[in-house]
Amino acid sequence: MHGTESAAIRLDNVTKRFAAYTAIQGIDLEVRAGAFVSVVGPSGCGKSTLLNLAAGLIAPSEGAVFVFGQSLYGLNRRAGYMFQQDALLAWKTVLGNIAAGLRFRGVHAREAEARAREWIARVGLRGFSDAFPSQLSGGMRKRVAMAQSWIVDPDILLMDEPFSALDVHTRLRMESELLELWTASPKTVLFVTHDLEEALALADEVVVLSAGPASRVVNRYGIDLPRPRHLIDIRTEPRFADLYRHIWAQLKEEVLRSYERAS
Amino acid sequence: MNERASRRLPIAVWQALLGAALLGSWQALVNAGKLDKFFFSRPSDVAARIVEWLKTGFIWPHLAVTLEEAALAFTIGAASGVVCGFGLARAPRLGALVDPYIRLLNALPRVVLAPIFLLWFGLGIWSKIALGVTVVFFIVFFNTHQGVRDVDPVVVNNARMLGASEWQLVRHVLIPSALTWVFSSLHISIGFAMIAVVVGEYLGSARGVGYLISQAEGVFDTTGVFAGMAVLSAVVLLVGWGVNRLERWLLRWKA
Repeated sequence: MHGTESAAIRLDNVTKRFAAYTAIQGIDLEVRAGAFVSVVGPSGCGKSTLLNLAAGLIAPSEGAVFVFGQSLYGLNRRAGYMFQQDALLAWKTVLGNIAAGLRFRGVHAREAEARAREWIARVGLRGFSDAFPSQLSGGMRKRVAMAQSWIVDPDILLMDEPFSALDVHTRLRMESELLELWTASPKTVLFVTHDLEEALALADEVVVLSAGPASRVVNRYGIDLPRPRHLIDIRTEPRFADLYRHIWAQLKEEVLRSYERAS
Repeated sequence: MNERASRRLPIAVWQALLGAALLGSWQALVNAGKLDKFFFSRPSDVAARIVEWLKTGFIWPHLAVTLEEAALAFTIGAASGVVCGFGLARAPRLGALVDPYIRLLNALPRVVLAPIFLLWFGLGIWSKIALGVTVVFFIVFFNTHQGVRDVDPVVVNNARMLGASEWQLVRHVLIPSALTWVFSSLHISIGFAMIAVVVGEYLGSARGVGYLISQAEGVFDTTGVFAGMAVLSAVVLLVGWGVNRLERWLLRWKA
């Protein structure tokens, strides 16, 4: 049990079954406090299940989840979660959505609002504080979601393909903004994506999951690209290309296997 | 903008023309003796009767009673519908227990309850309100129930991860979501409240627009019947217009 103290999240031989379907099988995963870890794998490999386990939204069928050394029962109170789907409160304004977490935690309305306004400026939504989510573009809604989960200052951030619905350029911008936020206040990030490029560009470590059902961790790769990273150019750097080729060789097999299982 | 205006104007004109044509032919047929005036009255007579009601102020107390009954029926029915719909959606076992009985009650045509309510609550406004409540309650109840169960689980999970307690989840996620459904059924439930109280008045009362119509019918005063119908339609349309505005404001966050 080395490094238990410094692990923000530790999954210990975790299996999760939904009725007769085994989503993940015997997963061991350790996320060091302050690290940015990406999980990649073919679609349907249980990536979201992994995050939901770490969030405490679901409980493991076997094994245990530890958060900063303590086993997790119920919701993970030290984690924020950015969902793949739109999860904003549609009937609240941008301001109300961003302030919601603070209000839930008992922060006084005026202070919550003042801090939410700071975040509105930080994510570039000045002038939209009274808009409703339905009046915003997809990228703007993601900014709201990002501010919403960061404002309560969680130690851990769980992100489930948060930018997958965006167009390539908006996505690149959101990734850069995420890295800026993370540099300014380093948190433990567990970032799930099906896009290896995105995983490489952002993370300190990339974890490859096998094709589902009964996914497991195939391999883990340390990403030694220097920081701060400039995402605009990073994809053309030689070291990036090397890493990409290396990891893709493994990921490709899992993707092909998932095709076989699907057909 | 110009294009829209020029396309809109004609339809309003055509609508007015259609109305004028229908009323005009009714008037002409009666004048020509093709329709019996005793059975069908005449638009000019109906209009004269309405003007007379307005001038003498005869109509106002009746209209006020009907509106008061409808408003109370709506308020009581909607409040109890929201509370019960919410409670039963949050307590699924209790919901499952009473579900067949709620369906059974809802399957009942409300008109047959009117005589019972007359016996229970008398000839005054409360027998009409009771009838209106039985209509509004079920509309609001089913919509609230659906609204609570229809909440996107991702939104619930998001609120929980943001630190919402059970009560905060109810207040900030479940109630707004359920109210969306209730609001969008507002004009239906208010319309039905009006219909129910008028039916109640019609079947036995001493005041109200329904009473006016039934009185006129009792003395074969077809002009009075049509005038009562016209007033009722105009008021329901007016209320509906107001409710529409209210609904648009309440649901302004929707795209």
